[in-house]
Amino acid sequence: MVIVPCSGIGKTFGSVSREAAYEVTEDMRPADTELVPLSLLVLGDADAREAVSEHGAVTIDGCKLACATKMVQESGGMVAQQFTVLDTFRRHRQFKSQGIAELNEGGKRLAHALAGEIAAAVDGSCENGRGKEDA
Amino acid sequence: MPDLPKKKVGIVACSGEELPEGTVTRLAALKVLEQLRPADTVTICLPLFLAGGEGDRAFARFYPTVVVDGCDKRCAARATEMYSGKPAAGVVVTDLVAECALDQPEGKRRLNEAGQRAVEVTAERVAVLVDDLLGKPAGHYSSEGAILMARQRAEMVAEAEVSQPEAQEEVVATCSCGSGIPVQKVAVDGHEVTLIALPAIFQQFHQASKQPGEETVNELLEVVKIYNAVPGEQEDAYRVALLREYAQFYEKQEVSA
Repeated sequence: MVIVPCSGIGKTFGSVSREAAYEVTEDMRPADTELVPLSLLVLGDADAREAVSEHGAVTIDGCKLACATKMVQESGGMVAQQFTVLDTFRRHRQFKSQGIAELNEGGKRLAHALAGEIAAAVDGSCENGRGKEDA
Repeated sequence: MPDLPKKKVGIVACSGEELPEGTVTRLAALKVLEQLRPADTVTICLPLFLAGGEGDRAFARFYPTVVVDGCDKRCAARATEMYSGKPAAGVVVTDLVAECALDQPEGKRRLNEAGQRAVEVTAERVAVLVDDLLGKPAGHYSSEGAILMARQRAEMVAEAEVSQPEAQEEVVATCSCGSGIPVQKVAVDGHEVTLIALPAIFQQFHQASKQPGEETVNELLEVVKIYNAVPGEQEDAYRVALLREYAQFYEKQEVSA
């Protein structure tokens, strides 16, 4: 699956979304996921567009502007599941995140929690895919 | 008076998450925004040119913009030009690394030492470009002033974030993300045009007690032309539209005062 995080530069939740995306694609589910940067989608890069249109995309939005989700849709891709940092925070209010260039401990924990939710969604999607293949 | 931010420079980083150089662009942009030139710079997330509104797309037409790209795909430069306006200047990290004979940056999540050095060099180059665009002499910026400004900005951000999540949703002013440039749609000779910064310009004129009239509309047109392309042959039509819109704005302000 393709993971598309917010590329926010000015808010902590943007950094949380990016960290969660890295954690999923590099640590948790490296074999099943691929990170596609928003900048390539904005530019209309053919490979990036193909990636989001051929595979379901998991989007991670850092704020209500929902750039990741909107850009996948604008690029002709299918959003398999949309995650927002705020929703995860509401489930884990103890993780007070701060910092942009460098997340504090709360931010890292929030990113880890979000990454776990995304990994579970990836597993579910992969199982469905395998089920369809078997059938 | 409303502060029309015409004397600031916009910074747009590619922020490409798939390359260490993308991380370099993001951290270098942050360094310029928060430490090196906090009073002179603003930023916007690249995707907002498409995912945002007209105020976001007006960014590079409103601010002279420095784009910071990680590689020769130059996503930030090309996307900014396509969707907003031609950048005033740009930096490509891979070029800068070669030019300065730096070691290869590595580590998308955590930059290695070479990556950290690339951040420093890139940020310094961007700061020089900012100074050039603002016509400020090299070395004009006192480090004490920059540190004070950075501290104030950090305090504002910390205050905004301390009461999550509500503050995250509502506080925009303390965030460097999003241009928030006001725009207004106006009918000019029967055609609808979007004029960048018009609400702020009207507010500025009203606060300067400029009453609607021929003299004022000529001044208005000159200020509008700073931010918007006004075809020479349509200037009379723009004057008519501006006078009509400003008269309405002025009356509304007077009634509510």
